[in-house]
Amino acid sequence: MKCKRCRRAEAAVDLPSHHAAFCPDCFFLFFQRQVKEGIRKFRLLSPSDRVLVCVSGGKDSLVLWDVLMEMGYETEGLYIDLGIEGYSERSKEKVLAYAAARGKTPIVVDLAKEGVPIPEASRGARIPECSVCGTVKRYFFNRVASEGKFTVVATGHNLDDEAARLLGNLLHWHRDHLSRQHPYLPDSGAGLVRKVKPLWRVSELETASYGFLKGIDYVTEECPMSEDATSLVYKEVLSLIEEQMPGTRTVFYQGFLDPGNPFRRAPETRPRASGESATDTEDPEGAGTPRACASCGAPAWADICSFCRLKERVQRRRERRPERAPG
Amino acid sequence: MLPMIRVRLPQKKKELEVPGPRRVMDILAQAGVRPTTVIVTQGKKLLTKDHRVEDGETIDVISVVSGG
Repeated sequence: MKCKRCRRAEAAVDLPSHHAAFCPDCFFLFFQRQVKEGIRKFRLLSPSDRVLVCVSGGKDSLVLWDVLMEMGYETEGLYIDLGIEGYSERSKEKVLAYAAARGKTPIVVDLAKEGVPIPEASRGARIPECSVCGTVKRYFFNRVASEGKFTVVATGHNLDDEAARLLGNLLHWHRDHLSRQHPYLPDSGAGLVRKVKPLWRVSELETASYGFLKGIDYVTEECPMSEDATSLVYKEVLSLIEEQMPGTRTVFYQGFLDPGNPFRRAPETRPRASGESATDTEDPEGAGTPRACASCGAPAWADICSFCRLKERVQRRRERRPERAPG
Repeated sequence: MLPMIRVRLPQKKKELEVPGPRRVMDILAQAGVRPTTVIVTQGKKLLTKDHRVEDGETIDVISVVSGG
């Protein structure tokens, strides 16, 4: 199969959803244009932004960092060591190696040192691992960004992630979640840093292809905690539909983002001018403008933020039932 | 023994052999793998789903699906 763009080189990536097949060079161009269009469409980033890129060692986040650097954005990587035996060490290794090859040193947060390694925190708080992980990550994304004077936090969520999340939210009629699902979550003006998902237009297959062709050495194993993640079921269903009707996933998610969609609030009014504060209706996390957590000072929607509450529960359990030392 | 196509699925810690020549999409169907959920590589090359693989060659099927 020849590349549909240059019509000379042999194609390496076939994309039925775009009725296209590309050679590596033309695919790089296609991919970067998709990301640029995703950024432009909702004005996710501006050239003056300092971007904190959250990297896990997986394909999406490392590809995101790579593309943003290539586009000339000022970026730093943030790696959160989840404390998952074996998996976390291997992921961290990939992140450090990727960064070192580009003259970067990522910021590393070690959850074991913070007192909330995911497996123990999940047991201690009796909350599923993925929920604990989400709470802890959101907390540190924001804290590191605030402390480091970053203007925006970027994550590697892709089209498949967002379409799967949308399907889950629709199936359960999570109207509040639906109203907040968007590639652009504004800052709150109260210490909550803007969050963006620049890869929202590209699929997992495209990020994996980009990473492979660019020689990015990412961790291919799945997080052992996510084996039963419901998002995998939604992805499976969507991939079945996608194979029968290529392009459906894109139509599904992009249709959801349409300004006329009554299930979500209009983010097209975003971003606000510098210094302008968010209104309650733009609040990404919950009801109203956040206040400062009485314990740590981070943005919170209760007196104590969810991270501090989690940490306290873990600590209480630790005092009641000390974990046995390994071996 | 005749050489066959060696198909490695490292994330599933699985390996199988199929007779060639055969297109990537047919190999995936035989392995029970959805084509939109994987990339297929051969050394440093990425293969399209209609690429024909010959006997004696080895390909890797890498899942692109991440959960959580």
